[in-house]
Amino acid sequence: MTLRECYAALGGDYDEVISRLRSERLVQKFVLKFPEDGSFDALCGAMAAQNREEAFRAAHTIKGMCQNLSFTKLGQSAHELTEALRSGWSEAAPALFETVRADYEATVGAVREFASQLDV
Amino acid sequence: MAEKNKQKILIVDDSEMNRSILADMLGEEYDILEAEDGVQAVSILSKQYSELSLVLLDIVMPRLDGFGVLSAMNQNGWIVDVPVIMVSAESGSRQVERAYELGVTDFINRPFDALVVRRRVVNTILLYAKQKRLIGMVEDQIYETEQRSSLMIDILSHIVEFRNGESGLHILHVRTLTAMLLDLICARTDRYNLSPRDISLISTASALHDVGKIAIDGAILNKPGRLTSEEFSVMKTHTTVGAEMLQAAVPGWITDEEYDELMKTHTTAGADMLASLPVQNGEDLVKVAYEICRWHHERWDGRGYPDGLKGDDIPISAQVVSLADVYDALTSPRVYKPAIPHEEALQMILDGQCGQFNPLLLECLTENAEKIRTALTGDTAEQIQQRNLRSISEEALRGEGGAVSERTLRLLDYERMKYRFFAAMSEEIQFEYTASPSMVTLSAYGSRMLGLEEIFMDPQHNEKLLSIVGQGALDEIIANQHRSTPDEPDSSMELIVHINGENRWFRVITRSVWTSDMPPRYAGLLGKAIDIHEEKMRLSELEKKASLDPLTGLLNRSSAREQIENRLLVHPNGHFALAEIDIDNFKRVNDERGHIFGDRVLQELAARMRHSVRSSDVCCRAGGEEFFLFLEYNTDIERTVERIFNNLRFELEGRRITVSMGVARGEASGLTYEGLYHAADLALYEAKEAGKDQFRFYEEPAGEKGESI
Repeated sequence: MTLRECYAALGGDYDEVISRLRSERLVQKFVLKFPEDGSFDALCGAMAAQNREEAFRAAHTIKGMCQNLSFTKLGQSAHELTEALRSGWSEAAPALFETVRADYEATVGAVREFASQLDV
Repeated sequence: MAEKNKQKILIVDDSEMNRSILADMLGEEYDILEAEDGVQAVSILSKQYSELSLVLLDIVMPRLDGFGVLSAMNQNGWIVDVPVIMVSAESGSRQVERAYELGVTDFINRPFDALVVRRRVVNTILLYAKQKRLIGMVEDQIYETEQRSSLMIDILSHIVEFRNGESGLHILHVRTLTAMLLDLICARTDRYNLSPRDISLISTASALHDVGKIAIDGAILNKPGRLTSEEFSVMKTHTTVGAEMLQAAVPGWITDEEYDELMKTHTTAGADMLASLPVQNGEDLVKVAYEICRWHHERWDGRGYPDGLKGDDIPISAQVVSLADVYDALTSPRVYKPAIPHEEALQMILDGQCGQFNPLLLECLTENAEKIRTALTGDTAEQIQQRNLRSISEEALRGEGGAVSERTLRLLDYERMKYRFFAAMSEEIQFEYTASPSMVTLSAYGSRMLGLEEIFMDPQHNEKLLSIVGQGALDEIIANQHRSTPDEPDSSMELIVHINGENRWFRVITRSVWTSDMPPRYAGLLGKAIDIHEEKMRLSELEKKASLDPLTGLLNRSSAREQIENRLLVHPNGHFALAEIDIDNFKRVNDERGHIFGDRVLQELAARMRHSVRSSDVCCRAGGEEFFLFLEYNTDIERTVERIFNNLRFELEGRRITVSMGVARGEASGLTYEGLYHAADLALYEAKEAGKDQFRFYEEPAGEKGESI
């Protein structure tokens, strides 16, 4: 699996990220770092505790990272969740969170698969 | 060394990944500092802002967000020196607008583009560096001006005062007026092509306009009446003489022979004085001064002296100073005339009574007559000088968007260093609170002592702080702040602080800080907390000592009375009894066994009294062999008194000691100290009368029941 294939698997835009960051090495470094980031755990905790403010921040952070990495799919769902939490606890939040969770798991799954091949 | 010269950039973002993407993009060229939220950022800024070249700042962050960091940067003035680029996926125009209002230089939107980020960072740093260099240039000029002017004004004010009988104020007035007129001319025309540096030079050099008077005979100079025509022609030479002296002050301007000649003909005082002028870097200044000295009595129509120059052949410097000189001479008192009112003086000048002036200058003068009048009246020399400096610096700084000069920063840095040093040396908890954002900064010692972070937000809801000082004390500090005013900003209070598992007394002294707005707004406070525990303990120990009988350790009469009255006040319906106790035949005991034994008897009785009652009851040695007990009882007071009485009879070293006791019950005698004491005293008398070694209760005489004694 190449980095491009990994991007295809997780619903990201490989060409775009390369055009911005201008180095495959850099992109790879950050993609591999992505699963280590604690924001998703923070989001899960905050959603469970119905802590809107913290959930907003965590979703916002995930969105920002996805934008930087051109993880388009997860970025979009995180964006929708962010907006649903921006000015109050919206009815739609739990459902949107489930979408984020599914996209996040798919993304991390693809990254892990890509990483496991690098080790070989 | 190369490492050290790298520019420092602070990246503030709560996502580690975002920080490291930015750090990687900026690469090796910069030294990167990272903060994961606003509080950390403010903490880093407060220590290192002067070293930072740039801050990359996220908006949405826990604890303190990007706007909070910006407010703190504004409040502390850091924003002037450290450019900020906002980094965010937020693109709402309201947010963007707010950020710009708070002094942000630029925006970088997510997703980051490596080229854009690098380009913006480089541009911003370059722009600021350039601005800083410009400010540096301007402020070197200010510094030069300060040095030059203060030295010269010092020298010349003295000379003029001593020689001329004019007040030193004249020189300052001419200087102020010259600067004002030059500014006004600049605003009207660029005919004279005057730079701010020229204006500064001319107004400084204006102080030298009458320097030639030093060579004029004092008899002529200070003659109260009109000068004869010979005297007037001598007087006129002050222009050329002054000019020559200035020529001599610049090496190479005139030949050595000419210099010697000059010194022969004029006073040595003048030569000495000129030698002290800062001419090394001041040749321009001396040349301008030369023009002013020589030609400040020339007139626009060519009818002045010494050279009869006409119109703009007279240098603008001399034109302006001559008008300033005439105006101030008219409006100030002289030996030969009183002061003339402003309006009249103005009219005299316009009428040509003091010769013709450049019409443009006259326009500037008349159109700003009121401004000029207020600028020159009622000022001390110092005020004028200060105002001049201020206006120069304001002028210089206005062009640079209100930035603080490098030199001021250096001074501030120095002050900060000094403050930190003393704060670190003193064992005091020092703190600072800003109202917006609500933030506390503790001195390093304070932070260590209290186990709190050096900087933390929102102290009213900081649980750790609350556990240390308690809600009550914190409320009191806040209440003190509400009571304080800009005129009375200080307050002081004592409170118990809980630190390291111990309760200790502290004194907290605070000064509230107000903005310079009208009306002033509360901006925060400065304060320190001093551990006064030992002092306080010593004091209360002293208080205790003062209230005790030194021999027995029982309360003395006055403190017992105080305590009894307190108890009666707090429990007006309590069941209390007061017992008065006398040692029987104590005088004989002393006589037989000596005073030391007598003292031991008193101590033994005191110990027995204490053991017979509860610790909340009051035991007192009222004086000599007289004692009191004040006790609370529930039901059977007779039994209690009997028990106590028996405890107080004892044998000491083979000597039998007995007591007599009179007891007053509260309900029977009215609940006042006086009433109880009087009743107990009567009962004691009865006990003694009945043969001692017994106790008696006070019984109210029949028919007087219910009345207090």
